Amino acid sequence: MENRTPQVFFALSLIVLALLMGAIFQASSPAWKAYQHQFYRLEAQQEPTAAAKESVMNGAVSIRQILLPGLQRVDRCTTCHLGVDDPTMAKAPQPFTYHPNVGPHLVARFGCTICHGGQGLAVDKTNAHGRVAFWSQPLLTKDYVRASCGRCHKEGDVPGVPELAEGRRLFETHGCRGCHKLNGVGGSIGPDLTEEGANHRQPEWLKRHFLDPNSLSPSSPMPNFHFTDEQARALTFFMLSLTSEQMGAYYSSVRVIPSPELGRKLFAEKNCITCHSVGGVGGRTDSPDLAGVTRRHSIGWLDEQLVNPEMISPGSLMPAYELGSNERKALIGFLNVATAEDAMQMLTGRPKALNPEAALIEAGKQNFSRFGCVGCHGLEVQGGVPNPNSQGGEVPSLVHVADDYTKVEVAKIIRNGKMPPLADAKKPAPPLYMPAWKQMLTDEEISRIVEYLWSLQPKKEAAW
Amino acid sequence: MISISEVYRSIVRRDPLSTEKGKAELVFLNLWLHIHPVKVKKENFRIRHTWYLGFITFYLFLILVGTGVALMFYYRPYPAQAYQDMKDLQFVVFMGSFLRNVHRWAAHGMVICVILHLCRVFYTASYKKPRQFNWVVGVVLLLLTLGLSFTGYLLPWDQLAFWAITVGTNIGGYAPLLGAKIKEVLLGGHNVAEGALIRFYVLHVVVLPALVVLFTMLHFWRIRKDGGLSRPVWKLEEETTTEGLVQIGSAAASPPRNESVSAASNDKTYGLMEVVTGSPLFETVATEQVDEEVFSFPFAFYREAIAFLITLVSVMAISLAWSAPLEEIANPAKTPNPAKAPWYFLGLQELVSHSAFVGGVLAPTLMVLLLLAVPYLDSNPSRRPAARKWAIWIFTAFMLVNFVLIIVGTYFRGPGWALTPPWVHVAGHE
Repeated sequence: MENRTPQVFFALSLIVLALLMGAIFQASSPAWKAYQHQFYRLEAQQEPTAAAKESVMNGAVSIRQILLPGLQRVDRCTTCHLGVDDPTMAKAPQPFTYHPNVGPHLVARFGCTICHGGQGLAVDKTNAHGRVAFWSQPLLTKDYVRASCGRCHKEGDVPGVPELAEGRRLFETHGCRGCHKLNGVGGSIGPDLTEEGANHRQPEWLKRHFLDPNSLSPSSPMPNFHFTDEQARALTFFMLSLTSEQMGAYYSSVRVIPSPELGRKLFAEKNCITCHSVGGVGGRTDSPDLAGVTRRHSIGWLDEQLVNPEMISPGSLMPAYELGSNERKALIGFLNVATAEDAMQMLTGRPKALNPEAALIEAGKQNFSRFGCVGCHGLEVQGGVPNPNSQGGEVPSLVHVADDYTKVEVAKIIRNGKMPPLADAKKPAPPLYMPAWKQMLTDEEISRIVEYLWSLQPKKEAAW
Repeated sequence: MISISEVYRSIVRRDPLSTEKGKAELVFLNLWLHIHPVKVKKENFRIRHTWYLGFITFYLFLILVGTGVALMFYYRPYPAQAYQDMKDLQFVVFMGSFLRNVHRWAAHGMVICVILHLCRVFYTASYKKPRQFNWVVGVVLLLLTLGLSFTGYLLPWDQLAFWAITVGTNIGGYAPLLGAKIKEVLLGGHNVAEGALIRFYVLHVVVLPALVVLFTMLHFWRIRKDGGLSRPVWKLEEETTTEGLVQIGSAAASPPRNESVSAASNDKTYGLMEVVTGSPLFETVATEQVDEEVFSFPFAFYREAIAFLITLVSVMAISLAWSAPLEEIANPAKTPNPAKAPWYFLGLQELVSHSAFVGGVLAPTLMVLLLLAVPYLDSNPSRRPAARKWAIWIFTAFMLVNFVLIIVGTYFRGPGWALTPPWVHVAGHE
């Protein structure tokens, strides 16, 4: 070293240069460039003349991106998936294949990742498909990609995705909220599910978890609900769709799917029949009959009328309902086919008024299922969910609750919660316990639930 | 017609480097090089005297400034954008991930090297008279380096950054009286959020680097004034037992006393600053091993350049092989288990897990005060290792405890801060 410093200096300089070249090489040969050349070759094959082939081959090699501020994302998927909106590429190999059946979900407007998952900002396959550490939404497989419909279409049916509606129904009827919070409502025994769709869980994992929770999470207190395979799949769809992401104005205005069925539901919900008649049925005489209204007015006129009735028809008493653009579309779609029979059904189908006592019990029943009591105490309040090391080893049945408690005592237990008594004081506390509901339920709601429980008691009291 | 050689001579005014005058002028006529002496002692540049750790730390700082400025072109200090800019650096900016890797690994390297440098200076007792205050400057530079690393840690705005800074600032918040206030001022609020990001950014790219530059200038200036690079003088003393100083010139009324000049002059190389009229009081030169002195050019410059190149090669090679971590976007609602501070604070976090007072207040305060006071606490004038066994033992124990705490905090703490060896996988935690 003593006298060789110039040589060492020179050698090290060369190494620095070599490393710099390495870094440049690493940075300048991305796979997407090769894909773009390949795509141009594929396109050139379809061109008739040499000149046309030439000009296709000379296309720009650059990163393509779809900026979606309304969805808070930037999708660069089309850097490689170049044929995604080109029908002539229907038979091309991946990544150039045309994406059929997008319906109104144009790539330019929606990008790719909102439905498919993956990492939109990335431009190499592994990272873009999101199957890497620290990316919570890997690409969804074909079986489950339709679950994403529920990310925007949070209400109502989505045509072609019956699993979503079924999953939602199961969630609300099986008392999942008793333990799980969703959008701020629910218990806290299990994890909050508001962001479950962005939780890096594999669909297969979720499905197996629904079929047998303890096979995947041995210490989980979640009971086995003995779901069928279809039900587990429906719940998985629902889980994958859960996100609190806020969509921009455009997306939230169109997220309702404008089907005539929805229009019919809205027509009933908004009580249009109170003022309007259809084919002479219902309504008051001074409001126009709506049979055939779509033939008398243009769709544009009807749409404007629904936005602001007073502006289109001065002096109109019709209120301006705050309907989204797709809701208005649905309503007009329904009016297009509405008949006197529909009106008749709506008039007769209105819920009959319950007597006050029965209404109270019905409300209690609704609360009982909505706030998730059924999750542990069962759909028929029969109890029976295993709860190791509690006395009896199960969540208690509530059928005979009136034998052991007064109404005041039960209301107090609901309000303040209760730890189940231990079967063996030395073993760990049972995983399930009665949470305190006073934060979530008003005293009135609690008393309704109590009334509901008492209404279920066998009628022997009457004889006694 | 402008003569090229005339222009060149107007810029470079020294004599040719083949002459001794040219070699001397290269150094003292140049603003950037004149921190060097014209001649250096060969002995001072032995690798095993300093391991060039001060140089390497400084070179890493230069690399960090270079890559940092380049990164600033791509970075917007606002939460969602910051994270997207990280992703853009990773995926679409040409050599963006390499740039970030170099910056990240050089930053960790600088923290490590500055600590190793501190150890070297302690073990060679280089903080002793006349360099006491330069040790203090060095400790300030260590703290500034930690500050730079800590503020930079937040900028990617991923889960790692967010929770490390949350934990780190919480540790700081334990300090009595001012702790909570300092935390609030630093974060621009009570939580790590937009306010914290812009503050950390400004600290990271303006305030702290400027302070590091100022203190580094002071640090280097004092090294130069105190006789250049440190070396184990006790070894030289063993060889030459003669008094190292001779006196030139006529002494004034009272003869100069050796003590007043000895320490400062031991390592001092000869320098003529200015010719002034009047007779000097005295001049001293170190006679020992004058023949070992060589011109800085090219001897010192080659060695410094090689140290720089080795630093650069190491950082580049590491950056090509390993990518800087980038986790999911920061999510205040999703706490990783366990949430850990940056590695150099994990010793403190480990202490905090036992006692918030010890880890958050007592230990850091004592550590900083003790380090600052080292040259004043150690009154033993000898630099001979055999004569300062106690100092070496205490310092080694101090560093070892820190090291073990950091290792435990980094590798042996699992979910719930439970003692978990790194090879044990805890079910349910990725």
